[in-house]
Amino acid sequence: MIPEALKRELLERTARAEHPREMAVDVMYALQGYYGYMSDEAMEEAAEIVGMTPLELEELATFYDFIYRRPVGRYVIRVCDSAVCWMEGYQSVVDHLTSRLGIGLGDTTADGLFSLIPVCCIGYCDRAPAMLINRKVYGELTPEKIDRILQKLATGKPAAGEE
Amino acid sequence: MLPQVLFQNRKPRRIATMEEYCRSGGYRVLEDIARGKYSPADICRIVGEAGLRGRGGAGFPAATKWMSVPVDGAYPRYLAANADEMEPGTFKDRMLIHVDPHTLIEGMIIAGYAISASKAFFFIRPSYDSSAMILERELERARQAGYLGDNILGSDYSFDIILHRSGGRYICGEATALLNALMGKRPNPMKPPPYPTVKGLWNRPTVVNNVETLANLPHILRNGPEWYKGLARTKTGAGTKLFCISGKVNRPGCVELPIGTPLREILEEHAGGMRAGSEFKACLPGGASTRYLTKDLLDVEMDFDSLSAVGHRLGTAAITVFDQKTCLVGVTLNLLQFFARESCGWCTPCREGLPYIRDLLWRIENGEGREEYIPMLRQMSRDVWNAYCALAPGAASPVESLLTFFEDEVREHIRLKKCPFSRPR
Amino acid sequence: MPRLVIDDLQIEVPEGTKVIEAAERLGIMIPRFCYHKALGSAGACRMCAVKFIHGPFKGLQMSCMIDAQDGMVVSTTDEEAVAFRRQVIEWLMMNHPHDCPVCDEGGQCLLQDETVSGGHGLRRYPGRKRTYHDQYLGEFIAHEMNRCIHCYRCSRFYQDFAGYRDLGPMQIANRVYFGRFRDGPLESPFAGNLVDICPTGVYTDRSSRYKARRWDLQRVPFLCIHCSLGCSTVASARYREVVRIEARFNESVNGHFICDRGRFAYPYANLADRPRRARVDGEDASLAEAVRAASGRLDQISMNAGPDAVALVASDRCSLETLAVLKRISREKGWRHPAVFPRPDLEHKTRRAVSRLDRRLAVSMRELESADFILAVGIDPVHEAPMLALALRQAFREDAGIVVMDPRPVSAPFDFDHVAIAPAEIGGCLSRITEALSALQADSAAQGKETRRPEAAGPLRADLDSRIAGIVERLRGSRNPVIVCGTDIVRDSTPDRAADLARLLLQLKARPCLFFVLPGPNSFGAVLLAESPGRSFSDVVQDIEQGKVKALLVVESDPFKNFPDRERLERALDRLDLLAAMDYLPTSVVGRAHIVLPTCTVFECGGSFINQEGRVQRVEPVHEGGIPVHQVSGGGHPPRVFSHEVPGGEIEAAWRTALEVAGYTNARDNLSILKIMAEEHPGFARCRDIPTSRSFRVLPDAGDRPPVCEETGDRAAPEAADTLEVVLVDRFFGTEELSGYSPVIQNADSEPLVFLHVRDAEPLGIAHSDWISIALEGGGLEVRAGVSAQMAEGVLVIPRHRLLEWQKLGPVPAQIPFGRISRAGKE
Ligand SMILES: Cc1cc2nc3c(=O)[nH]c(=O)nc-3n(C[C@H](O)[C@H](O)[C@H](O)COP(=O)(O)O)c2cc1C
Ligand code: SF4
Ligand code: FES
Repeated sequence: MIPEALKRELLERTARAEHPREMAVDVMYALQGYYGYMSDEAMEEAAEIVGMTPLELEELATFYDFIYRRPVGRYVIRVCDSAVCWMEGYQSVVDHLTSRLGIGLGDTTADGLFSLIPVCCIGYCDRAPAMLINRKVYGELTPEKIDRILQKLATGKPAAGEE
Repeated sequence: MLPQVLFQNRKPRRIATMEEYCRSGGYRVLEDIARGKYSPADICRIVGEAGLRGRGGAGFPAATKWMSVPVDGAYPRYLAANADEMEPGTFKDRMLIHVDPHTLIEGMIIAGYAISASKAFFFIRPSYDSSAMILERELERARQAGYLGDNILGSDYSFDIILHRSGGRYICGEATALLNALMGKRPNPMKPPPYPTVKGLWNRPTVVNNVETLANLPHILRNGPEWYKGLARTKTGAGTKLFCISGKVNRPGCVELPIGTPLREILEEHAGGMRAGSEFKACLPGGASTRYLTKDLLDVEMDFDSLSAVGHRLGTAAITVFDQKTCLVGVTLNLLQFFARESCGWCTPCREGLPYIRDLLWRIENGEGREEYIPMLRQMSRDVWNAYCALAPGAASPVESLLTFFEDEVREHIRLKKCPFSRPR
Repeated sequence: MPRLVIDDLQIEVPEGTKVIEAAERLGIMIPRFCYHKALGSAGACRMCAVKFIHGPFKGLQMSCMIDAQDGMVVSTTDEEAVAFRRQVIEWLMMNHPHDCPVCDEGGQCLLQDETVSGGHGLRRYPGRKRTYHDQYLGEFIAHEMNRCIHCYRCSRFYQDFAGYRDLGPMQIANRVYFGRFRDGPLESPFAGNLVDICPTGVYTDRSSRYKARRWDLQRVPFLCIHCSLGCSTVASARYREVVRIEARFNESVNGHFICDRGRFAYPYANLADRPRRARVDGEDASLAEAVRAASGRLDQISMNAGPDAVALVASDRCSLETLAVLKRISREKGWRHPAVFPRPDLEHKTRRAVSRLDRRLAVSMRELESADFILAVGIDPVHEAPMLALALRQAFREDAGIVVMDPRPVSAPFDFDHVAIAPAEIGGCLSRITEALSALQADSAAQGKETRRPEAAGPLRADLDSRIAGIVERLRGSRNPVIVCGTDIVRDSTPDRAADLARLLLQLKARPCLFFVLPGPNSFGAVLLAESPGRSFSDVVQDIEQGKVKALLVVESDPFKNFPDRERLERALDRLDLLAAMDYLPTSVVGRAHIVLPTCTVFECGGSFINQEGRVQRVEPVHEGGIPVHQVSGGGHPPRVFSHEVPGGEIEAAWRTALEVAGYTNARDNLSILKIMAEEHPGFARCRDIPTSRSFRVLPDAGDRPPVCEETGDRAAPEAADTLEVVLVDRFFGTEELSGYSPVIQNADSEPLVFLHVRDAEPLGIAHSDWISIALEGGGLEVRAGVSAQMAEGVLVIPRHRLLEWQKLGPVPAQIPFGRISRAGKE
């Protein structure tokens, strides 16, 4: 169950919208922020807030790329695999990440810290190869730079703004 | 120095503030509107005279779209600013927000006024969260300054902008799918009729414009249509254009140039030329859903009409450059991977046809190609044109042009039973 | 009207007709998957591509997406179009499992047909196939997603057309999946239509799985007899067993669909414990022997105690043929006329409804869909007349306003204003509305020749005033309003009051506007054939108790199901000298009858029924009678003993056996029955002239008769504040007699609840889904409570569910003091 305060806030925001459904994605983002991913329980709670059935919300949750219906790590590393990044070294970025994290694409590290998934063009083609960690973008990746980023995240220190 | 319009307040590594925007003449038009200088019809007329064409890819004249909102159409009416920008190679909308968000905000208010809308949605993709946060902050500033909200600057016009974060999918950028997404429905496109300008969001008249289109409005009204037309390098073009350059050039990035600037000039002067050891082989001139453009057309003027005269499209004006060492079968496979993954799954050609094409390309690239795949690919890239929306035809463009201009390269893959290029690693 | 040319043939079609539809009118069936007449265009499958040669469109276009326009020239056989369609088929078959041999859709599969006819024979796609997990969707429908071709018909039907929200498309791109949030029975009572509407084998009928290929089936256009609407179906049988019911398109009644009750009720006809052998005093007998015995004993009793001592009992599931014959023999023999209705009020209300309906007033269900305002009184559509709910939803989708005036916690797949009032208040509201409307009309001087005073309205709750005013306003403002009126829970005079209002509306709007829902599939026919005043079964019980009736011939009727006082019924039946039962169901009456005469189901002998709008619909038998092969052989190989006789094949339609019992041995052919029917009611004479496939209405032409509200002693609302009025109601499953015998429906049915208002429940400490016990006359009833705020106060809503011993209720109408309801300890 999400905290009462969060629920109240979401209900208020939903009530302000012209139609509650408009808030479907925002509410899912909020619950995902709280739970880390959209569990079945989270789906049901969110559906209730926006007045949809769980199925109706699932139609959206499974459509979108940034709603996670399965558990993911605290940091979701999404490496851009579209044309420009692919041409500029996507594969070596992934190779480096998989060897450092010891996981394959689509997996989460045992400590629950990192998940690794590809993502399509994130609009940083001028700084390829690029990746997204949670909502933050890192461009012009090199093995050293990736190590520094992972290091910072793993030790809990906030990652320096790259953007 | 070339005229900088949208980017006139561009600062190295920082966002222009509202004050800076105002100092450069910002929100003057809005003040004029509040004073009653323009009627909505005036705005439509001026923008029409300026010849502003949509910057989202299709190049539809902005004023014509607005004027298709029926005079007696229902209220409330809505405006949606399209910052979904997921076309691979494209990042101009992000730049625009990071350079001068208020030119965009004022542009939205002007467009909203032109169609008598009371509310706008700013639809933004999730990987632009930093941009979304900037906008949220700047929208609040604009609200506080009285540029947004009830009775703007004391006039009887009320208008507000709501930021809507997308769940993230390329198809959400398609105007009608975007409306479904905003309404909390599955973002499948909806074929007109009815047109969104007649029945859009919640069955009310709604206009969808790309954010770059909207950002042009304050400048057109400030300086007049003649000035705007004069910015272009070609007779039929108007204004400037944000070009995103990526790939094998020395200085990838986003630059504002007069529309109609020749491709060669863009690449050589504004993108620093090809990288050392790289030779121009082809480029996608307007994003992933345009055709490969080859060397012989390097002198083409980059505007809507000039490109279509030679069988190409300006699209989003995102130029991705490939060199002689890049395997275009590989690039095409990558693009098809993107399109197949992003298909909304509504219609057969796109949902099933694109994965089919991707599979054949994958086989060719990985040494399992067969001669008969070439006519199959050719036929299928024609057949997916009969899809429900423009995604699948867009996806077909790189495939079709690969087979038109680089058939030998494809055959070479099949003959060698492997990719003749060392893969970029 | 646009005129266009398709494949060199010219056609003119109404504005707004899609090209695909125009072609169909020419007999050209353009291939399609996503397009469906009831669901409209989606443009998803791209299978309907044709070539536009001249006119406003050019080139390859989807014929389902384009309105026919003047000057169009279209080719469906153009090479480019054919090639493109072949490509589409290849795409659709890329991931298809090619499992036709084990797929129940095989042989009736649109995908199969169009794959073959489209000329896609060789598999070129070298890649791997996509596979999905299937879901459990309940007892009715199997789910095999690998066969899906993503035409979106299922979700468009389920969500858009029918208005339910637990099945839909999930995922994206080529992973799109149609299903539920998680495994579980589909919530829609119309889910069975997915089987019909899916163009391939994703949704198949579990009740008929693996039983037959379509070409092996005896398929006959059929009629649903599980409520008074009379929807059209197709019934299929094999090996003397009914195996499947599908919806059949009917322009006037049900459109394209039917409800799940109608689809899955049929197994009652296949029951192993169906009475198949005649019995006399507990011993098996041949039908002829039993008929002789019955005939002899009835004559004996007639002679000894007078013919009046013999009473006939029938029901509204009897065919018109049977009812006509019973009427004939009772008259000729001097026996008591058949009692068809279980209660006098039902018989009265049905009679009033039927007598007030005329050709100008009656709307068909399909016409109802184009109403712009609907006032439904005393009706819970999903439960009493399920397809009515879908019709109302179509009106709602076209922006019609809907008001439901009913005490129950009505829920329906459309938005409506619920005026939750007790049954006694409904009639008063109707009168008030009529009064207000005609007063307004008098003002605008449009008062016609009709000068009448609607009877004075009784006192009403003050809070109803504004709602009534609202309804009057909306009636006034609508072009095409319709009054829907139920006959089960309302007071005796309510149908008349509904008819009064409808007549006024007819004057004002000049459009038909009255739709009654009747108690059963042949209630209309029963009152047409009944004598007046009619008698109900409770009168018969009284007469038995007083010793006036000594013999009962019960024909296709189960008083134990309907009579509210079980003990009294048993005592009464025990007094009889003769209890003879004719039925195809293993009812309690059959169980205790001295003489049992098995009859055929309507599947085996056909029959005629009149639905609630007076439409006579007739069907032919689907298969000949007899014990299903699979029962004869105990599930193994059919027996190898050869004989000319079909096991169990001697039984006949009830009307035939009834004629024999009455001694008519030579009037038992089809022509004679048509003659008997015509003689018993002149309206049925048309049955002789009109083919079975066509229906007709037996309504009087115009309502020149003065609008009279027949005087009846309506019960007032209970005064006492410390009692609840018992409202006995029907439910989608569990109360209708025939479907109650269907094992598949029994499995799917949920626990029955007894409903009361929160404000009535709270003082008793009862919360929703608590077990409660109710002390009834005949003993305690333990049941779960449904507590709702969306219902009338002061009523206790009890479903006549087969699993509830509501027959302990004792005399009806009943009031239950609060003191007799308490929370039960049970968990
Ligand atoms: C698959 C697809 C994706 C699209 N994505 C975008 C997008 O991300 N941003 C955008 O502005 N327009 C996008 N468009 C174009 C829009 O449909 C629409 O034409 C545009 O937003 C209109 O704005 P404009 O007239 O100002 O150009 C896309 C179109 C298609 C078919
Ligand atoms: S082409 Fe068809 S499947 Fe593809 S995105 Fe458009 S509507 Fe969806
Ligand atoms: S029937 Fe026309 S696209 Fe499916």
